[in-house]
Amino acid sequence: MIDGLVRILLFQGVGEVIAHFVFPLVPGPVIGLVLLLAFLVWRGGVSDGVELVSSAFMRYLGVLFVPAAVGVVIYWPHLQRQALAIAVALIVSVIATIAVSALLAKWLDRKAPDAP
Amino acid sequence: MRPDLPKIHEIWVYLSGSPLLALILTLTAYQIGVMIYERTRLNPLANPVLIAVTLIAATITALDMPYATYFEGAQFVHFLLGTATVSLAVPIYKGLASLRGRLVPLMAALAGGGVTSIVTAVVIARLLGADETVVGGMYAKSLTAPIAMGVAERIGASPTLTAVFTVTTGILGAALGRFVLDAVRCREWWQRGYAIGVASHGIGTSRAFSVNAEAGAYAGLAMGLHGVIGAVAIPWVLALLR
Repeated sequence: MIDGLVRILLFQGVGEVIAHFVFPLVPGPVIGLVLLLAFLVWRGGVSDGVELVSSAFMRYLGVLFVPAAVGVVIYWPHLQRQALAIAVALIVSVIATIAVSALLAKWLDRKAPDAP
Repeated sequence: MRPDLPKIHEIWVYLSGSPLLALILTLTAYQIGVMIYERTRLNPLANPVLIAVTLIAATITALDMPYATYFEGAQFVHFLLGTATVSLAVPIYKGLASLRGRLVPLMAALAGGGVTSIVTAVVIARLLGADETVVGGMYAKSLTAPIAMGVAERIGASPTLTAVFTVTTGILGAALGRFVLDAVRCREWWQRGYAIGVASHGIGTSRAFSVNAEAGAYAGLAMGLHGVIGAVAIPWVLALLR
């Protein structure tokens, strides 16, 4: 497990450095993600250590953004005043997003059934 | 007689100054959230993050604990977000095989869905009078939360509002997805799962997995691709527009 964590932390570190010096607009961990993905494709598989660490993170991903989300207490009065705008925007947006994605996938799949 | 009674206050003062209290609070609240979520047979409305945030917000308000004090302790959990983001490479890698032969519809659905998500949310929020702080939190809301919060930092939006809108979007997508997909007569499992993953990331993905394995796999793929492509595209496009 430690070897997997070390590898993931190394990719995160390299990603943060690249983000800091080369691509300041992209979050460092995302660059680390892309590098790790490229590494996995190059290696053609996932080592046991990386697999173990990754599946633990995926399983408990939700708890990691709780501390930041609790910050909603600071915004609370602010959000209450705009509750209607926020609710309508989020509900309509998610419905439209699902509909557009589904329709595009359906429509283009039918148009190119023999695509390689 | 309880000779130890006066000391309880001292213990409390000591504990509230240590990161341990915030950590215990965070993990306990999340554990309660998971228990309720499992009790309700994984009902998306009983989302563990939503329950945990509600419980913690109520607790720190009742204790008069400033958010900054809470976060000082909880930051050890928060810190792992970056590491978790990197490990998203593994599920994406496993999903890559599913792209084969469907690259065009999948990428088009992702691009169309991603743009729709941002444009509809931002335009509607502005029209209904939301201020720029709130609108800023809408940009990354369809990305998986750890990436969304990283993007929020880069575009000068509030990571907190982004996290809250992201989780809400996930819950809404997981709860409403079925009806939307039926309304547009989308029947293939891979298309259904993928559309849910594009719109509502991890929460939608776990919902999709509980319905159908193929839908879940494609939802996970959509979540990963949307996270990576959105993280690169959103800050750049916004920088160009500003």
